[in-house]
Amino acid sequence: MSDANTLKRTGLPLPITIIGAVVIVFICLFPFMWMFGSSIKTLPELYTVPPIWWPETPTFGNYYKVLFESNIPRYFLNSVIISVGSTVLALILAIFASYGFARFNFRGKPILQSFVLIGQLLPTAAIIVPLFITLRVLGLVNTFWGLILVYMIVTLPLSVWMLTSYFKAIPVELEEAAIIDGASRVGILFRITLPLSTPGIVAVVVYAFVTTWNEFVFALCFATDSSVKTLPIGLAEFSTEFNTDWGAVMAASVVMTLPIALLFFSMQRLFVGGLTAGATKG
Amino acid sequence: MDRNSTGLVFVLPALIVLAMLIAYPVAYTGLLSVTDRQGAFVGLDNFNAVLGARATPQAFWNTLWFVGGSIVFQVVLGTAAAILLNQNFVGRGIVRSITLLPWVVPGIVAATTWAWMFHTEFGIINYMMTGAGVIPEPIGWLTNGSTVMPVLIAINVWKLFPFVAIMVLAGLQSIPNDLYEAARVDGANFWQEVFHIMLPQVRSVIVAVTLLLVIWGLNSITIIYAITRGGPANRTLITPIQIFRLAFESTNFNQAAALSVMFFAVALVIVIIYIKALASTPGEAK
Repeated sequence: MSDANTLKRTGLPLPITIIGAVVIVFICLFPFMWMFGSSIKTLPELYTVPPIWWPETPTFGNYYKVLFESNIPRYFLNSVIISVGSTVLALILAIFASYGFARFNFRGKPILQSFVLIGQLLPTAAIIVPLFITLRVLGLVNTFWGLILVYMIVTLPLSVWMLTSYFKAIPVELEEAAIIDGASRVGILFRITLPLSTPGIVAVVVYAFVTTWNEFVFALCFATDSSVKTLPIGLAEFSTEFNTDWGAVMAASVVMTLPIALLFFSMQRLFVGGLTAGATKG
Repeated sequence: MDRNSTGLVFVLPALIVLAMLIAYPVAYTGLLSVTDRQGAFVGLDNFNAVLGARATPQAFWNTLWFVGGSIVFQVVLGTAAAILLNQNFVGRGIVRSITLLPWVVPGIVAATTWAWMFHTEFGIINYMMTGAGVIPEPIGWLTNGSTVMPVLIAINVWKLFPFVAIMVLAGLQSIPNDLYEAARVDGANFWQEVFHIMLPQVRSVIVAVTLLLVIWGLNSITIIYAITRGGPANRTLITPIQIFRLAFESTNFNQAAALSVMFFAVALVIVIIYIKALASTPGEAK
């Protein structure tokens, strides 16, 4: 930006911007600081009036309880299996579907495209019951496959939407050249289109993984056995109506948040780019 | 562009999975809603039973209140945050990343953490507010019928305003610089730029995001279920939770299906009205 431009630049006065930024950071970050602070407090320190900001003697007792005396590690593993499984499956289906939508014209394409998006519009609560019955008929209640399949409804529509706009942005000429050289459609997809759309793929993977990792309602309905329960359900189990071990709950929250925060922040640039590309180019 | 069938082959696997998991269950809900436990046709009995329940109208108004209240604040605060994050200042990148945090964490984590912060006796919020003299004595935020809904709305706003902020921010960043330059030549100040350049330019983004928020709002069971399960005294019972309870606590699948059908119809009407209203407004041409 040139000096002339900088001079003319209007904007919020700097002090207001700084105050606004501090307020936003405080609001967004404070619950996490409180969560972490509470997770390393001992029982007496948790239940004192007035609350103390930082424990005198930080303890990892809550983490010990969560990691060695609860079902959380098992649920963590379940969550990993289900999230990875459904992410991979959604990615494969979305790659093919998006390529079909982005590169071909066929009868009924607009209708089929809007059908895919309806999945995103459908109220979850409205299909829980029939979905439960469907899974029961298929024998998939309380199985990994049951949740992996159900999570397709949640992640597939937006994944297809994001990838379609990515594929469309890749020049067709590259593919036409390959067709002339005799490459097959699938060959083109995997050798030319996919390598060029890595950011889109990453965006879909992060989106699908984060969404399934965080999902609560379907897991609550379709995974009632501890061999398939996921982390969100495990966390909810810690707090019963009358008795909640808040130290352990906060420790479990930290355990559950860390992987997702790490994944997100390492991929943030690609993810946000991929997500917003669809919205702004629409 | 290409042969007709090839594209369909690519699209088909995803469509089959979605049809199996969406089209079939939706059709089956319709069937369940007009039959009884044994599968015999009972007409509109289930609908009458559900409509006759005292909780139903209450849940309906609670849902409107929760979704509407959340969206207004999510959009306003999210847009304000986006405009702020579009300013130039040191550390902007980090602030942007931190802003996304509430949106990324699991809903259940947000719910439990806030429930702990709003705890009547040991919660930090009562402590801070009594200390600052905002309230004279600790409030039972989550047990008091008049505070519980606003608190849940606030938590929901906290969770989702970051999403509005990144989407609007992306819109703001794609505004061509000449628009600002033209305005500055005319001597526009910051607020004139906000209202005459930024907001009109990101209007379509806000519209799309609001639609998503409506749908997510109608789906949002996690936060309320985890914190209050619809209580106290059904004060925070929203229709999705009512459906869930009917199905899995009363195991009355048929009534739950009837309620689902009505809920789906109302949701669909809201979405259609929203889209229609936008289609008829000028300035949407792309």
